[in-house]
Amino acid sequence: MAYRWNFGPVLDNADVLLKGAFGTLRLFAVCALAGLLLGLVVGLMRQSAHRRWRWPATAFVEFFRNTPVLVQILWFYFALPILAPFEVSPMLAAALGISLNSAAFTAEIVRGGIVSIDRGQWEGARALGFTAAQAMRRVVLPQALRRMLPALTNRGIEIFKMSTLASAVAYVELLQQGKLIASLNFNPIETYTVIAVVFFLCLLPLVQATYALERRLGRADA
Amino acid sequence: MYRWDFAPVWANADLLAAGLAATLQVTGTALACGVPLGLLLALMRLSPRRWLRWPAGAVIEVFRTTPPLVQLFWFFFALPILIQVEMTPFVASALTFSVQSAAFFAEVFRGGIVSVERGQWEAARALGMTHRQALRRVVLPQAVKRMLPAFLERAIELMKTTTLVATVSYADLLFQANEVAQKTFRPLEVFTTAALIYFVVIFIASQAAQGLERRLAASGEGMHR
Repeated sequence: MAYRWNFGPVLDNADVLLKGAFGTLRLFAVCALAGLLLGLVVGLMRQSAHRRWRWPATAFVEFFRNTPVLVQILWFYFALPILAPFEVSPMLAAALGISLNSAAFTAEIVRGGIVSIDRGQWEGARALGFTAAQAMRRVVLPQALRRMLPALTNRGIEIFKMSTLASAVAYVELLQQGKLIASLNFNPIETYTVIAVVFFLCLLPLVQATYALERRLGRADA
Repeated sequence: MYRWDFAPVWANADLLAAGLAATLQVTGTALACGVPLGLLLALMRLSPRRWLRWPAGAVIEVFRTTPPLVQLFWFFFALPILIQVEMTPFVASALTFSVQSAAFFAEVFRGGIVSVERGQWEAARALGMTHRQALRRVVLPQAVKRMLPAFLERAIELMKTTTLVATVSYADLLFQANEVAQKTFRPLEVFTTAALIYFVVIFIASQAAQGLERRLAASGEGMHR
């Protein structure tokens, strides 16, 4: 017996999905911004000449890169409230987990980008009388950022995909709303297919842009 | 001030150990199926025939651009109805992560194969090898060595992603930790312990991968030459 597909109930609940999409976008925006900025700071700290900056940054990066993000989210949701004097909402737990995880990965991208810049650029900048901070900000970082761009957009795509993990702590996002619709209408096939298609359509342009970026930079560097 | 007490965690160490074993089991299964499938997808994608190239490209793109948790839910909740089979959490998890990691491994394989110079192909063909022989005897052995770093990184990434199986009640380490936390009312200690276990296992794996990478780089056969 072939299964009879029926997308009616999913489309009837478009408003529920829309609310979820809003939640996904909100979480994505927060995590992308916080993750990339914090990653930049941590990446620069790792390049610092002072051990008191370098050491904590390394510990942070190693810890968050070597534990699964879902474990981090659940830790922030279930364990942090015991230590912290405030309520931890699903949004906060998910945002903390995903942002810190992404920051650790971004820090490595930033470090790789900075290391890839030729030493001569540093020396030239210093010879022109720039301080180390000025050389970093005006000479090295602008060039490094360009090279890091494809890796950074990849990170953004990863963050978007990771946002679904927030459903594990019942944060209202697309997948969570999908679970709701599927359990109310007994139509997991159609619902999860629609969710998968929505994510695919949202991310495909980003993925294509990343490919194009990689090709362009590959040509420019060659 | 909160008083930490790890005794309840110790009392349930057997559950956590069983969870870790289950995590390793699903990771191992996904690797064992994902790597050959990934190689197959990569070869299809590099094929000159469009009817092989196109479906492989579609599978790779779809599984790389949709969130793994959505894929898992689809395989666990939707697929059993569609093909009318019983789906256990283990089968759904193993299936999802085999195909998902295959999509990523395919790109690693493809990158490795493409990185081998054209001259190697041409020389092999000039020696009278068929396309398949050239691939198997000349190109793949060189490609495999070059893509090892990317490959190991993906395998570690896979192990971290398997924590998602806890959401479909497969009793992996994270799932067991959640159970123990609810049973003992000690979420702080239990989740901290679980995080540390993951950290130790994954950290050792990454260090081993990096060591291997350095040795390969020293032997002059890294990704870049």
